[in-house]
Amino acid sequence: MQRRNFLKSAGATAVSLPILLNGLRLSAMSQSALFNMIDPESDKVLVLIQMNGGNDGLNMIIPRDQYSGLAAVRSNILIPENELLKVDDLTGFHPAMKALKVLYDDARVGVVQSVGYPNQNRSHFRSIDIWTSGSPAEKFWNTGWLGRHFDAEYPGFPEGYPNGQYPHPFAITMGSIVSETCQGTIANYSMALEDPFNLFPLFESEGDVRPDTPYGNELDFLRTSIVQTNAYSEKITEAANLGSNQAEYAEGNRLARQLKNVALLISGGLQTKIYVVNIGGFDTHAAQVVEGNPMVGEHATLLEMVSNAIATFQNDLKAQGLEHRVVGMTFSEFGRKIRSNESLGTDHGTAAPLILFGSCIRPGMLGENPEIHRDVHPSEGVPMQYDFRDVYGSLLVDWFELEESAVRSLLHENFQKLPIIEDCRMTTAAQTPLLDDFKIEAWPNPFDGWAQIGFTLERPAWVRLSLFNAIGGEVQVLTNQNLGAGAHRIPLEGSRLPVGTYFYRLQIGNQVRTKRLVKVG
Amino acid sequence: MDRRTMLTALTGRRAATPAPAAPPDNDTTLAPYAGPWGFEQAAHLLRRTMFAPRLAQIKTAVAQGLDATLAQLFQELPMPDPPVNYLSNNDPFVPLGDTWVDAPYSRTINLRNPRHRSLRAWTMGLLLAEGVSIRERMTLFWHNHFATNNVNDPKYLYRHISLLRANAWGNFRELVKAITIDPTMLRFLNGNENTRVAPNENYARELLELFTIGKGEQVGPGDYSTFTEQDVAEMARVLTGWRDRGFNAYEEVPIEAFFVPNRHDTGAKQLSHRFDNEVISNMGNQEYAHLVDVIFRQPEVARHICRKLYRWFVYYKIDETVEANVIEPMAQLLIASNFEMRPVLEALLRSEHFFDVLSMGPVIKNPLDFVVSAVKTFDFDFPDNYRLQYEAWWRIFLQTPAMQMEYFNPPEVAGWKAYYQEPVFYRTWINAATLPKRMSFTDTLIINGLQAGNERLRLDALKFIKTIDDPYDPNAVVESFARILLPRPLTDNQLAQLKEVLIPGLPDYEWGVEYTDYEANPGNMQLAVAVDAKLRNVIRVLLSIPEFYLS
Repeated sequence: MQRRNFLKSAGATAVSLPILLNGLRLSAMSQSALFNMIDPESDKVLVLIQMNGGNDGLNMIIPRDQYSGLAAVRSNILIPENELLKVDDLTGFHPAMKALKVLYDDARVGVVQSVGYPNQNRSHFRSIDIWTSGSPAEKFWNTGWLGRHFDAEYPGFPEGYPNGQYPHPFAITMGSIVSETCQGTIANYSMALEDPFNLFPLFESEGDVRPDTPYGNELDFLRTSIVQTNAYSEKITEAANLGSNQAEYAEGNRLARQLKNVALLISGGLQTKIYVVNIGGFDTHAAQVVEGNPMVGEHATLLEMVSNAIATFQNDLKAQGLEHRVVGMTFSEFGRKIRSNESLGTDHGTAAPLILFGSCIRPGMLGENPEIHRDVHPSEGVPMQYDFRDVYGSLLVDWFELEESAVRSLLHENFQKLPIIEDCRMTTAAQTPLLDDFKIEAWPNPFDGWAQIGFTLERPAWVRLSLFNAIGGEVQVLTNQNLGAGAHRIPLEGSRLPVGTYFYRLQIGNQVRTKRLVKVG
Repeated sequence: MDRRTMLTALTGRRAATPAPAAPPDNDTTLAPYAGPWGFEQAAHLLRRTMFAPRLAQIKTAVAQGLDATLAQLFQELPMPDPPVNYLSNNDPFVPLGDTWVDAPYSRTINLRNPRHRSLRAWTMGLLLAEGVSIRERMTLFWHNHFATNNVNDPKYLYRHISLLRANAWGNFRELVKAITIDPTMLRFLNGNENTRVAPNENYARELLELFTIGKGEQVGPGDYSTFTEQDVAEMARVLTGWRDRGFNAYEEVPIEAFFVPNRHDTGAKQLSHRFDNEVISNMGNQEYAHLVDVIFRQPEVARHICRKLYRWFVYYKIDETVEANVIEPMAQLLIASNFEMRPVLEALLRSEHFFDVLSMGPVIKNPLDFVVSAVKTFDFDFPDNYRLQYEAWWRIFLQTPAMQMEYFNPPEVAGWKAYYQEPVFYRTWINAATLPKRMSFTDTLIINGLQAGNERLRLDALKFIKTIDDPYDPNAVVESFARILLPRPLTDNQLAQLKEVLIPGLPDYEWGVEYTDYEANPGNMQLAVAVDAKLRNVIRVLLSIPEFYLS
């Protein structure tokens, strides 16, 4: 029968109408023996774990050298000191993260301290937008940080995709919403996927003439979307059937369930570059811990899930020889306030640590512990040390091999590459530090109107010094320029600033220090 | 033959000429439509102003004409009865069947969840039960415009949505005033924390950027051509002092906003040249209303809301032609009518632009429209018992969040992306996860039925076919079904394919024989099942093709 069928089934296999109409799903799609793979060895994958709600970083990576301060301001939720999983003299993991600690000791976990952005927005929605778009806090960008990257690489998408060269989805979001990180100018690059074994062909229809009207345009778009979904679904089903898991994922762990599918698809040869997985529940305003037993509670349960899921995933990849292809990162829209509240919880705060994992990341801690004073203001969050866009950009440069100049235009002009990837591609030559900690000082501190911040550079460098208020607002940029070697003193004219706690953040190249400064009346 | 006539023919039954490269502009104006008034026009008007009209409603509209139909769409209606407790046997304040909208909360029992659920079920019930009225469409328009979410008190939400419903086509300026001190909005955008000592700019910024004048191009530091950062800061000061009470209250207290003089900034507030350097001071609890009046002096306010109306009712693409021919005259009319919404809505909905062939069909239905149109068109039998009814409404309500639209939960203060996100607009509804959700929902309605309590809502195909004029001719059957369900006529080829689904490989008269047989013997299950299965197949195809996703 030559006639083009108005009611055409998906995929290569012709499906007769009665089967579709009897409500049967086509469980097995065409499975080609020669799965179309380009060069799996060259393909790098980034897995993003979005922790929705605002993770209490101070209860995840605990600054042991600040324990007395913590005990003064969040005693009702604080983990006993001797229960912490010590990673060194300064820090410890939450005791629920034993599996992650094992991975850390195996040099497969890196922690970037106090990641955030200037002028922290404490609204969930807005801050998620900022984290997913990679925009400054004041700007509204409609595209995601990865979507912009894809836009530059694959012009015209989705028109003409998938095709012979790119038969697979560029990105996958586990769940039913596509991740805003992958929003491009025209379309989102990520495909929403709930269950790789439960994809069924959508009904494809074919109008023989598309009227040349706005109606026809939208109809075309819908038809293309349906065809594209079917084409990608077919590849995903193939990969799911070819792939395997070599580790036991805990059934009840909702993050592990998603990562299990990610490992399966990578193992099955899917060429997808980005996977986004989600775990919600971090908005722990109340009952973050069980009264009288801070070892357990909502947050401990979540951290244990995250820890176990990452560790199982990493073990799975390792067992399958896929470790070197995958890097993972967690993120959350904000950290929480330093002081706990009366409801055994914590409220929306500022910066928080994020976790990187994989065999190609630079293991260990990057950055310093936040300072926790016993007199922190109730609204205070952990001040930012690292700009989240520098973390993103460093992944793009050292993992996806983008030029730094490209990253500057995708993310921000002041991009500073951070040492978070190593082994696989060494780009960070060992350098002597630019900055000598002992010589950074604000004087007088406390101050009442005027102060100065002094530091010494070992050699010339770009320096950005700014002042933040207690809720993460960047209230003054004191300098942002190249400075020569030697001692510098930057004046701070603060007579009009309200009385209270401030932080000065000194960024010299990719080194950052954030220190506290108090204004008195 | 000019281009428009050709296109009209092209999109009709006989489409054969190869299509030109890009769709032409719709260069028609706001002038009253003077063309033919038939099924196509009436259905277009009702589909865009209601949530899915039924065949009988379209026929009535055809018979009574455009003017009478418009008058009916804007007919004043009493407010609906409030939502009732249908779930909670242990609500100490509200027996089953009574409304909870003024009842307190309990310290020991979670009453918020069942009330949230009742509110949502009730809302779906209103959409399913609406008559020929634009009220629900406009209520949702305002909900998208003054988007709020995350205010976790269903009594607040009921009060808030009732304000929008009561002002569905009322006065825009007065509605902005009411919204400015609406308890839900005060909470959502932190107006209740906005004080003399610690001004909070959140609401002031959105009032300008989203609710009234819109954000123009940035033409200088902090100057967005329609307003400046100075205006945001000064207007925040104007709005200081308002608080709300009654939030999640355990006592029987009315939900209300109130003014606290000592939280209000009594100093002079200096607006920028964008607002003619207006200075506002010493007006106490009337300052907010005066501020709204000041903002509304700028003609850009009218343009901004008219663009949003256009994207809600017509299409997302606004080019220079549409801006000049439609938006600007709408804006002038809105200003001339002192910001009453009805005249401008009526003008748009009776315009030649609205009824132009190029305006027909390009709106991708939002999930609510999609779900409601799949249910309502077929006149499902809902249970009589109110508890079962609410439960059925609730089950239908639950379909839309997975398709990425949830009443009372717009994702952003800017509303749903489909109505503002350049350049994709309506297309944001469609992705690899939402498409299967839509298709499996319609399949469920047709094949197994949607589980609701102990019952299943399953499409009654035999009831549906009885509504059409000629159920005996298979050509007429598929054409009638397509006309009711789809925004534009199908091609001859598509209709022929559909008929193949109805009577595969059989001559036309066989359908008439089968159907007549069934009609003569309505008790004969075998005949009924055979006819029913065939009809179900056709309807399933019609709800699965992308044409059904359009309006």
